[in-house]
Amino acid sequence: MTAWIVIIAAGVATFAMRFSFIALFGRFSVPANVERALKYVAPSVLAALTLPALLAPGGTFDPWNVFVPAAVLGGLAAWRTKSIGAAIVVGMPALWILQALTG
Amino acid sequence: MSDTTTSASWNDGARAVAPILLSVAPFGLIFGVTAAASDLPQLAAWASSFIVFAGASQIAIVEILDNGGAAVIAFLTAVVINARMLMYSADMGRYTVAAPWRTKVAAAYLLTDQAYLVTANRFPDPRASVRVLPYYFGAGLSLWITWQISTTTGMVLGSAVPESWSLEFAIPLTFLALLVLAIRDKPGLVAAIVGGGVAVAAVSLPYNLGLLAGAMAGVIAGMVSERWLS
Repeated sequence: MTAWIVIIAAGVATFAMRFSFIALFGRFSVPANVERALKYVAPSVLAALTLPALLAPGGTFDPWNVFVPAAVLGGLAAWRTKSIGAAIVVGMPALWILQALTG
Repeated sequence: MSDTTTSASWNDGARAVAPILLSVAPFGLIFGVTAAASDLPQLAAWASSFIVFAGASQIAIVEILDNGGAAVIAFLTAVVINARMLMYSADMGRYTVAAPWRTKVAAAYLLTDQAYLVTANRFPDPRASVRVLPYYFGAGLSLWITWQISTTTGMVLGSAVPESWSLEFAIPLTFLALLVLAIRDKPGLVAAIVGGGVAVAAVSLPYNLGLLAGAMAGVIAGMVSERWLS
């Protein structure tokens, strides 16, 4: 029963956050400063999601782990090709090879 | 949707997220496998895929409750992890401003990192094209369907997925690729370096607060550096 309550409450709260500004827009005009700030939301959030996962897997800082070189290769592939799939196609096999090499 | 321009945009959006589905599917599998191995009511864990529809928070809820954590902590953690939706919502609002209410509700329900990012990337100016929303829905619906199928598959397969595949690596790999594509100028790069750096430094903060701290620091750094760099 607890699980159901948590999941439904999290679902309602998540929808409320998704809907918040979509619902409010048009009721008032967005200040220019806010619009400027929004440009940096994507790079900031994505870096804040990615870097800890790579450099501190499991919550401890460890920049020499095997995920880092595999991610660098995957990231370079994405940058060169402008494609997200390339990061997966290059990064996953790179990780498997590195894991096999380092045992 | 009989208008050919509109349906072409649906397809364009779906095609744009197709490579992302490669990483969403393993993510969904991981969630399914985690949920199947937990003590949670299986129906509740499965239903979270369409009730919450946000992978990282779903995994957090299952792990916290399965380890005996309090319901309130599980709920608050999910809210903090998904707080970035506020920022996406603020940007998506520019695209949906002229749409009818039911379209706004549907757009909000389908709002995810990937659907938002491919749309914002393809249409930086919301007023530039009438095809923005069909494109967004094509992307969002593809992601939704993939998420439902992959999480269900993961729950059915359970422990049959070997750990040595390191499927969980597909998640940071996708976000890294999205990051590479999202950096379009020097202030954007500054935002990413500061946001990522702060998040790494704050990684031991509870409730994923490091993510929020990094995101805010990055946005501020981007705005401040704009004055000098552009």
